[in-house]
Amino acid sequence: MTRVRSVFAALSLALTLALSLAVAMPRALVAQQAPAAPRDTLVVTPEGLRAGAPTKATDPALEARTSAVASGLRCPVCQGLSIQDSPSELAQQMRSLVRDQLAAGKTDEEVRAYFISKYGEWILLEPKASGFNLLVYALPVLLVVGGLGFIITLVRRWTVAPALGDASDASDASDRDAADGGENSTT
Amino acid sequence: MIGTLAHGAILVSLAVVAFGMFFIPFAIKRDRRDWVALAYSAVYTNFLLITVATVAMVWALVTHDFSLSYVAQVGSKATPLFYTIISLWGALEGSILFWAWVLAMYAAAVVWINADRPGNLVPYAAAALLGISLFFGILLVGPADPFKPVFPVPLDGPGPNPLLQNHILMAVHPPLLYLGYVGMSVPFAFAVGAMLSGEVLTDDWIKITRRWTLSSWGLLSAAIIAGMWWSYEVLGWGGYWAWDPVENASFMPWLTATAFLHSVMVQERRGMLRLWNLNLVVGTFVLTILGTFLTRSGIISSVHAFTTGTIGYYFLAFIAVTLLVALALVAGTSGRLKDEKRFDGPASRETVFLLNNLFLTAFMFTVLLGTLFPLVAESVKGVKVSVGEPFFNRMSLPMIVALLFLMGVGPALPWKRITMPELKAKLRAPLVGAAVMLAIAIAVGTRNFYALVTFAFVGFSGASNKFEFWYGIRARQRAHGENYLTALFRLMAGNRRRYGGYVAHLGILTVALGIAASSTFRTETEATLKPGDSMTVSGHTVRLKQVWGREEVQRSVIGATLEIVKNGAVTGTIEPKMNFYPTSQQPVPTPQVKSSIAGDLYANLQAFRPDGSSATVRLIYEPMVPWIWIGGMIVVLGSVLSILPARSRA
Repeated sequence: MTRVRSVFAALSLALTLALSLAVAMPRALVAQQAPAAPRDTLVVTPEGLRAGAPTKATDPALEARTSAVASGLRCPVCQGLSIQDSPSELAQQMRSLVRDQLAAGKTDEEVRAYFISKYGEWILLEPKASGFNLLVYALPVLLVVGGLGFIITLVRRWTVAPALGDASDASDASDRDAADGGENSTT
Repeated sequence: MIGTLAHGAILVSLAVVAFGMFFIPFAIKRDRRDWVALAYSAVYTNFLLITVATVAMVWALVTHDFSLSYVAQVGSKATPLFYTIISLWGALEGSILFWAWVLAMYAAAVVWINADRPGNLVPYAAAALLGISLFFGILLVGPADPFKPVFPVPLDGPGPNPLLQNHILMAVHPPLLYLGYVGMSVPFAFAVGAMLSGEVLTDDWIKITRRWTLSSWGLLSAAIIAGMWWSYEVLGWGGYWAWDPVENASFMPWLTATAFLHSVMVQERRGMLRLWNLNLVVGTFVLTILGTFLTRSGIISSVHAFTTGTIGYYFLAFIAVTLLVALALVAGTSGRLKDEKRFDGPASRETVFLLNNLFLTAFMFTVLLGTLFPLVAESVKGVKVSVGEPFFNRMSLPMIVALLFLMGVGPALPWKRITMPELKAKLRAPLVGAAVMLAIAIAVGTRNFYALVTFAFVGFSGASNKFEFWYGIRARQRAHGENYLTALFRLMAGNRRRYGGYVAHLGILTVALGIAASSTFRTETEATLKPGDSMTVSGHTVRLKQVWGREEVQRSVIGATLEIVKNGAVTGTIEPKMNFYPTSQQPVPTPQVKSSIAGDLYANLQAFRPDGSSATVRLIYEPMVPWIWIGGMIVVLGSVLSILPARSRA
């Protein structure tokens, strides 16, 4: 009995520790980000430096379309991020390509087709719902629908009392007073 | 030297573990409890030996012993001590060692607690845990040996993956994840033990493992939230969840474990779903191994995919063996399990739990299918496809809102059945809550269908769960005349599990609120600024002060100092950076977040001119993001409340 208590007290302690760590985190972050050195000189490392491309002022409608199309295209050098989300340089270039093509009058579908012709269907973050790909859309739906049907049959077959009959033993008060199984009887 | 010692410790532990695993069934067959006790010492010895190996690895990392392959792979003299220590889990071999150590610790704790329990349940469970340990031991001497000698000994190493040494959360997220993930082995081992010993016919194994499952679930929840926080703070795109395979890998066992935590109550209360619960426990464990296989074998590319050799085959073999053994046991047991087959009414808590289990498992299946589908499509059709965020959002949102709704219905419904007047009384507060939240959501401009439904259901279930406390408090006040605080305290102390569960619900709802608000109302803009230029996103203006750079021991840092301007006055600064590590071509983005309870101002440095004349900054305003982290903490609090040992009354 004491063993149970000490081990689970330790586990709760671990969880509580995680909790307090999380609470303390913002402070630790601030501490970590405090400046460590004077910063008046600009140190330049040769590789990886990137010059900022000037952003053009554009109309909000075009921006909205750009971000809608870009959200569905995969950033080729990232892990599953869209070119809309990814901060990588390639993603930024691809995003401006999307913007330019839309500004030039292409439809959303034509822009997508352009990227598919360059990278293959892989560039779409969501597979086209046709052919073999239908499986990935249909199976979860089938599972939910089938499962609902199964549960309904099960509940119907196993229900002995009429639905919403008068309450006797089922009032919430008796429910509350009964200890949930196992609370005090754990080994 | 230290490598030889650690290697030897692992080899000896393999022999010890194999002995214990095979000796336990033998001892049981001969009915020799003294032999079982002897076999238990194998569990302790294994823990001791793996501890020696783990401490040796940390020591080797700290002392920069580059003669060991793992240290040569992830160590570097320039890495700060803190990140050197946590690089124990920064690559494949070290993480397997850490896994083996956590597993050995759990096994030792299980045996230590339950050693005196009569019957064969615990010995068989110990044997199962030793079986899992055996697999990880084999990995440690085979494809994931961290102690391989390196010759010639390099003078220095490359240091850990830059992404892993860029943020302090890397010290929190992986250990929590391993504690939660590996903890799922314990209920699995007890399920196997229950089936082997025949004690599956009583529900004892469920009572013994209840707290193990809950604590592992709490740790896994905390780990998932910490992982979200890490990607928010480090990856620089202002998001916290991208349905990356590794995120999915941690999420799938969480879903089935959540299903189990609920359906097990139906088994305890009503004697139903026995077989189903066995399957959930087995499934949760297999999903932890499958997730590790997917992300560690390199078969699916992911943020966490470490480079690999043959380790994938070992995992596949282990999954196959586990599934064969477990399913054979379940099949053998199924005939003997007698379920109660009785519902008292369709509107009852047990029905809600059935639906909860349906949606949670269907959710898990969807995530699994989406994660595996690129592999399936490529092998069947030879076409490379991606299954990413848009797919997962589209497919999972209906199930998520259904679950949010059920979270409010379940607590409001009693077991067995409910009368119409009772039902009406119980639903009043939740419906008011839903209406209020819906009105607020519309008033602040929500138009997205799922966002509206989410806000409404959060209001519904939030009210429902909060009112459970209120009903309990009122009942106590009437019965004992206590004041509110005393009543609340005694109420929760009297049934920690139940009220801990409601606290966890409120935590999940808080997370859902944060996710819905931040994804619906996220606004962002990107601009290239010269010093003195400013940019604005949803009313928040920042002005570029300067672009600067500095050398640190292990990296070079380029940063942009932006002043936050409010009504012409500077109220603070925000300083996104890029960290350049010598081992990485790409700089590691280091966004900065200014958090408040209302929302986060998130700045990421996208690009800059080397002469400091301009910087391209992405500025994002995301409302209510901190609610996600706070909600996560509430979930953890709920699970702590549920597992705290009951005070002894004697």
